[in-house]
Amino acid sequence: MTPEHRTENLIRDIAVRPLPQPYAPGALLGMVLGLIGLGLALFMGLFGFRPDLASAVTALPVQAKSLLALALAAPAFGLALASARPSAPLRLWPLALPGLVAAALVLQRLLAVPPGMAGAEMMGQTALACLMSITALSALPLMAGLWLMRRGAPTRPGLTGGLLGLAVGAGVAAGYALHCTEDSPLFFVLWYGTGIALAALTGAVLGRLVLRW
Amino acid sequence: MIVTAALRNTDCLARTAPVRLYRVAVQGYDLEHTETWESLLARANGGDAAAFSRFLTLVSPTLRAVIRRRGMALPPDQHEDILQEVLLAIHLKRLTWRADMPVRPWLYALARYKVVDAFRRRGAVLHLPIEAFVDILPQPEGEAPLSARDAETMLGMIDGRSAALVRAVALEGKSAEDAGEAVGLSAGTARVALHRAMRRLSQIAERMMK
Repeated sequence: MTPEHRTENLIRDIAVRPLPQPYAPGALLGMVLGLIGLGLALFMGLFGFRPDLASAVTALPVQAKSLLALALAAPAFGLALASARPSAPLRLWPLALPGLVAAALVLQRLLAVPPGMAGAEMMGQTALACLMSITALSALPLMAGLWLMRRGAPTRPGLTGGLLGLAVGAGVAAGYALHCTEDSPLFFVLWYGTGIALAALTGAVLGRLVLRW
Repeated sequence: MIVTAALRNTDCLARTAPVRLYRVAVQGYDLEHTETWESLLARANGGDAAAFSRFLTLVSPTLRAVIRRRGMALPPDQHEDILQEVLLAIHLKRLTWRADMPVRPWLYALARYKVVDAFRRRGAVLHLPIEAFVDILPQPEGEAPLSARDAETMLGMIDGRSAALVRAVALEGKSAEDAGEAVGLSAGTARVALHRAMRRLSQIAERMMK
């Protein structure tokens, strides 16, 4: 039997197999957002919202914390989901927009802060708690998302995993901001940014491992 | 209307990489049909096994050609194995294709990933730009190749003189005048006969595709 004949036989064999499990981006998104919401609800139940939430949400820097993170999470989710389809066009530049706004906020604050105070403001009081919370709250949604993503066909598994990690980290940070009382851009751009970057890095590393096909 | 009749020589396919296409533009003769890779894969994803089998059969020559042309680093007997890995991946990942996407970019991106991966696992490094796929078979949308066997079958279903005319014009590239002379027809009569034969063939082709 020639190799071509074996291929013809294989085609006949493959063609009658049942349909594979569908790649369902909607279900994946629902699962990941649900798990993020669940984790945040649990977190707020344990540690509570910031006490001054009602009055604070009207202040611009407080809104910026959540809105910037959401502005990062939304395109990152969209890109991560799209990247699991071969040949889907990926425009990554929307991810840079919240980064640019964050950089502008940092610059503005640096110019306004009294000399010698910038360092202390940047370190804040809760940097470690912030990092640990964002990382811990991201873990489960990221795992679940990567698992469902295996039904997709990402031709760049590291990128897909990284985008998913970025989206999850940013989504978690947007919620965590409702608990955190540190409102200086010097603090939250650095520490939220680090937390989100850690989630993205984790996603990229795991993506290269589990999203191969 | 210029339409191409793509008659593929399956015998040479086994030995040489690129698929040979005999393309002839015949004014006013339509041998095209509506079977596209998109419609086949859409039907396949709806559970139509025959459509999926036909889809895999149609895409195999392109994929085989790319693997052979690029796969100098590996012994040829592994090329068909790699093709089979790609075909299996097409099955496993076929639901990542959305019916509103063109099939070719999706297919080539998927195949590129699998081929590069297959070579890597066999210890060979492969540089495979996506253009490698497009270069092999720059088929316009909607044109599905008919195999030489299909073409012979179809020619057998029309009368001998018409078949000879079509062969001379479509396969050998002669003019209608020369082809008519060879079978004892005037230029005008040959053109009319050719026109009727092509229309008849396109009806047969349509039936065969269903």
